[in-house]
Amino acid sequence: MGTKAGSILSERMRFTLSCYALLLPSVLLLSIFVYIPVLWAFSKSLYQFEVGGESEFIGLRNFGEILWRDPIIWPSLLNMAIFTVIAVCIRLSIPVVVAKLIYSLPTERGRYYFRLAFLTPIVVPGVAVQLIWGGLIYADQGLLNELLQRVGLPQLAHGWLSDPRTALIACAMVGFPFVGGFEVLIYYAGLANIPQSVNEAALLEGCTGVRKFFMIDVPMIMSQLKLILILTIIGGVQGFEALFILTRGGPGFRTMVPGLWMYFNAFSFQRMGYACAIGVCLFLIIFTLTLLNIRYFRSTEELEGVR
Amino acid sequence: MKIKTLILYAALMVFLVLTMGPFAFVINSSFRDNVELYHGYFGVPRAFRGMGAAAMQVARGDARAMTIENSEGEARAVPPREALGHHARLAVLSYTRAWAVIRPYMVNSLVVSLSTAAGVLLLATMTAFVLSRYRFFGSRLLFLFIISTMMFPGVLTLVPGFLLVKQLGLLNSYWAMVLPYMAGGQVFAIFVLKSFFDGLPEDLFEAARIDGAGHLQSYRHIVLPLSKPVISVVLVMNILGTWNNFLWPFIVNTEGKHHVVASGLYVLATSAYASNLSTLFAAYVLSSIPLLILFIYATRPFIQGVTSGAFKA
Amino acid sequence: MKHVSFRSVLRAASLAVILAVSGWALLPPASDRETPGSGRRTYGDEVRFVIRVSPGQQYMPGSVPFGIGDPLRGLSDVIEDFERRFPDTRIEVLTVPGVREYLVSLLSSGQAPDIINVNVEDVWIDVQKNWYVPLDPFLEAPNEFIREQGAPDAPGYHQWWDMFKYQAISRGKAAPDGKNYCLSYDMVETGVFYNKTIFQEAGVDVPKDWDEFMVMLKKLKDAGHTPLLMHSELFNDWCTDLFFDQLYYAILPGIDLYQDPSREPYLQGYLDDFEISFLFRQGFFTKDDPRYMEVWRIMKELRQYTNQNIATVDLVREFVTRKAAMVWNGSWFLYRLKADRHLGFDWGVFYLPQFTKNTSPYASETPMCVIGGAAVQFEVTNSAVSDTPPDMPFEERMATSERLKRVIQFLQFLCVPEQYARIVNEYECFLPNIVGVPVAPALKPFEEILERRYTTTKWVFTFDLKFAEIQRRLIELYLNGGISLDGFMDWQTGNIAYGVDNLFFRKKFDVDQLQRAWEEKSPLRAGMEGLPHGD
Repeated sequence: MGTKAGSILSERMRFTLSCYALLLPSVLLLSIFVYIPVLWAFSKSLYQFEVGGESEFIGLRNFGEILWRDPIIWPSLLNMAIFTVIAVCIRLSIPVVVAKLIYSLPTERGRYYFRLAFLTPIVVPGVAVQLIWGGLIYADQGLLNELLQRVGLPQLAHGWLSDPRTALIACAMVGFPFVGGFEVLIYYAGLANIPQSVNEAALLEGCTGVRKFFMIDVPMIMSQLKLILILTIIGGVQGFEALFILTRGGPGFRTMVPGLWMYFNAFSFQRMGYACAIGVCLFLIIFTLTLLNIRYFRSTEELEGVR
Repeated sequence: MKIKTLILYAALMVFLVLTMGPFAFVINSSFRDNVELYHGYFGVPRAFRGMGAAAMQVARGDARAMTIENSEGEARAVPPREALGHHARLAVLSYTRAWAVIRPYMVNSLVVSLSTAAGVLLLATMTAFVLSRYRFFGSRLLFLFIISTMMFPGVLTLVPGFLLVKQLGLLNSYWAMVLPYMAGGQVFAIFVLKSFFDGLPEDLFEAARIDGAGHLQSYRHIVLPLSKPVISVVLVMNILGTWNNFLWPFIVNTEGKHHVVASGLYVLATSAYASNLSTLFAAYVLSSIPLLILFIYATRPFIQGVTSGAFKA
Repeated sequence: MKHVSFRSVLRAASLAVILAVSGWALLPPASDRETPGSGRRTYGDEVRFVIRVSPGQQYMPGSVPFGIGDPLRGLSDVIEDFERRFPDTRIEVLTVPGVREYLVSLLSSGQAPDIINVNVEDVWIDVQKNWYVPLDPFLEAPNEFIREQGAPDAPGYHQWWDMFKYQAISRGKAAPDGKNYCLSYDMVETGVFYNKTIFQEAGVDVPKDWDEFMVMLKKLKDAGHTPLLMHSELFNDWCTDLFFDQLYYAILPGIDLYQDPSREPYLQGYLDDFEISFLFRQGFFTKDDPRYMEVWRIMKELRQYTNQNIATVDLVREFVTRKAAMVWNGSWFLYRLKADRHLGFDWGVFYLPQFTKNTSPYASETPMCVIGGAAVQFEVTNSAVSDTPPDMPFEERMATSERLKRVIQFLQFLCVPEQYARIVNEYECFLPNIVGVPVAPALKPFEEILERRYTTTKWVFTFDLKFAEIQRRLIELYLNGGISLDGFMDWQTGNIAYGVDNLFFRKKFDVDQLQRAWEEKSPLRAGMEGLPHGD
């Protein structure tokens, strides 16, 4: 009897072990090349530390400085929130509309080529896009100011990126008309996966056009919207490269975000420990937002389950 | 009905033109020389106009001499055919210069991106398969362990990551790039593939099990064939990600033997005293060509893959 | 069915063609010299030293300055000569990104190129980490290539230092620890480039003083031009120093508290970081200091005549398209204008005019120029002593390293006038900093400017990089109307206080001695107007 129980146990064990063995390469690589450096960095958040210099244990003082003493942190968090909200609004709206437009095309050929066409620009590196916006569109003699002069609004023309009143919004608007090919495809996939029965039922009940879009299509692609939402939030909290190229967070600190402030602290201000503490905070923010996201935004499957 | 379709096409075309704008601008600018670029944003490249004029004369059989300028600004009269060649060389001048900068790195970029993609493919499919199909002690925790890495801020790991690679003796080798890229790149792939595998009907595996197929067989004969399109998406995304990364290759290639194209681009983009936009744009175009080729061959499965519904949360 | 197979054949065929073409494009090995920065070479046993040099973009072989003209080759020609002279040495030229994170990662682990080109301010904050090799012992010894030419009166025969033309600036690059880590290879001076055609049309001429300048700027603005192009970096660097000097020079005898015996002959009256710190604690550079307030008032006045977006560094377009009448820029801009054959207008250069008593009652009305900087400065990194045991004290490593000797020899070789001219005078951008090397004719006006007295500060670089970063951000915010002068001053006072604290924390100096000097100079200050606290 004992042997039988043992063999069942060992079979279960063996199964678990073989699963672990299959996961080993992935987990090992992650542990070495991601977790070790991250833990190193996170542990340094408790130190006064500069690369190549001495380090001194100071407990939670870095975090205290972030919360209470650093005058840059809170405004930059607000900027980050604004950027992220705008980015979310943009990426959850315009690509959906474009996907819907493509999906509404009558021929499969047309749908295919438009999807392809919107996808092609993703081979252009982000740096090129940033350079074009900073150097050509927002410049004093740039496209935007020239356009305003042509349409008879020369009084509106000004230095978009250096005027403290417009810098933030100008940075947020980079990438107009915001049709990311990848997002369009994902939403398109969501639309294409709506069961025919649902579409037919909607048609029978006279639910068409804009109303159908909001009543049927949008809830049915909730899973896709949620994925883009999560990715956008992660990008919004971590990303700062675009701002580094466009304004370096200026004028003053008007477009500063915590990621960029972390960068300056780590490499320019000789305050690696403090930068690591900012990094820990950013990680906590992303982690919380993602959890909330998963918990409180229902995905399509759950909606279907409710129905 | 017809009018509605027309409006649809028109709206899409407007969006498309605006989206493709920067792309078209980069290509057009790459054929204009730097002085031209600074004198105006748009316009047909001067070299093209020269080529056009010379080609017209050649076509008409007009043998009158044409004036051309050399790089020192000295004018000289030459037969139309020679003028045509001169202008054609000018048109591609920025390409020849850009090619000289990024050519030595092209092979490195290909090696790094392709081997990273291959590694990610192997690791991610296996891991996603196990995490999706089997429930075992700690499986959810492991998934969380993997997924959380998407949320770590990348800048901070630069210095410790570099020290680690150095400690492991990997500096100045392809491994210094491929292994960390694989480690980081697999995460999104696992996320997507797991969500795809989750959606595969259990009946398929049931049937296979009844037929006596082991785990490995069901992986090879059911999962891999079905997930080809999704895998192609994951690979393309991965290659796009590694192709444009410049800072890490700079840091781990202290001897400069394994630099990648993006590093070359970076150098062109940031040379302050020699702002050289036309070469930079040409280099962007050149460095996108392998990606475009990849795209041409991967579009169909790519679109299929994204459309398969695996991209959701 | 048939259709499908035709398609797949087409696909396979096109793939084969693409592979063949790309193979043809990628595989033929490039010759060594044609691909700078690739470093793709292997060597036989006869090569003992492979020295890696990152000279920066200015003289990078193969690069095309401003995208005009032919690719540069001067440096690679000189390297060829050096390798012929020392067959056991190979010099590899590398491109590296000029970003802090790259430097920090590589220098902290001893993996940087042997010779790099980094801004002096970046070097200063890292010197105590033994990342860079101090060059003083070598600079004080002969340049061996000059010595072997055998002319005892040639500069460099006795001391390498003597070869440098701009002693004050070159020696002024000494770090806070007093040692020199930077070899200032060339020199930059600034000037206002102006469009002669626009000047004629608007009926204005080169201004003689600041008041004329302001009148002229207004005229140009009313005529619909952008009068002057400047970017924010310029405001907080050259512009601040020039304004500061004009307003403070008159009271300098009363506030210059420390005379560095080694630098004083070259840098007369230069205000060092600790002097500024001491003065700050006496109330200078705060709201109570009327001179300091004048700097920002006048700067704001100037701002209304400049381009709107001062965040952009690329000001070429507005000038060459004749939208702007003037651009304040460095001497390198000259090459850009000269080489532009489609410019269609004449241009000239003048120096920023001086304040008068009318501009500000504190104006000193004495000529000066921005304390110049080098476009290229070479530093020798800790990689150069990598042939010695890392646990040895750094001085000993320097003394015993064979590799370092060769690295220094290479730098000395670069300074030999004949070689130097091939590099720096290849195109007209920078002034030679080596005695006996001719100045390119077009750069003569800048050479004349450099003969003036230098400004007494490099304000934005007084303290560390954090101070500089915040200072330049706040100037930008202030000039763009995002903050009032009052708010700006509050921020500044906090920032200077931070810089002072950090300086006292990192560096020891004799406060008592400064205090004594301060008291000694009290009679000198007695008759001076507008000192803080009515001192």
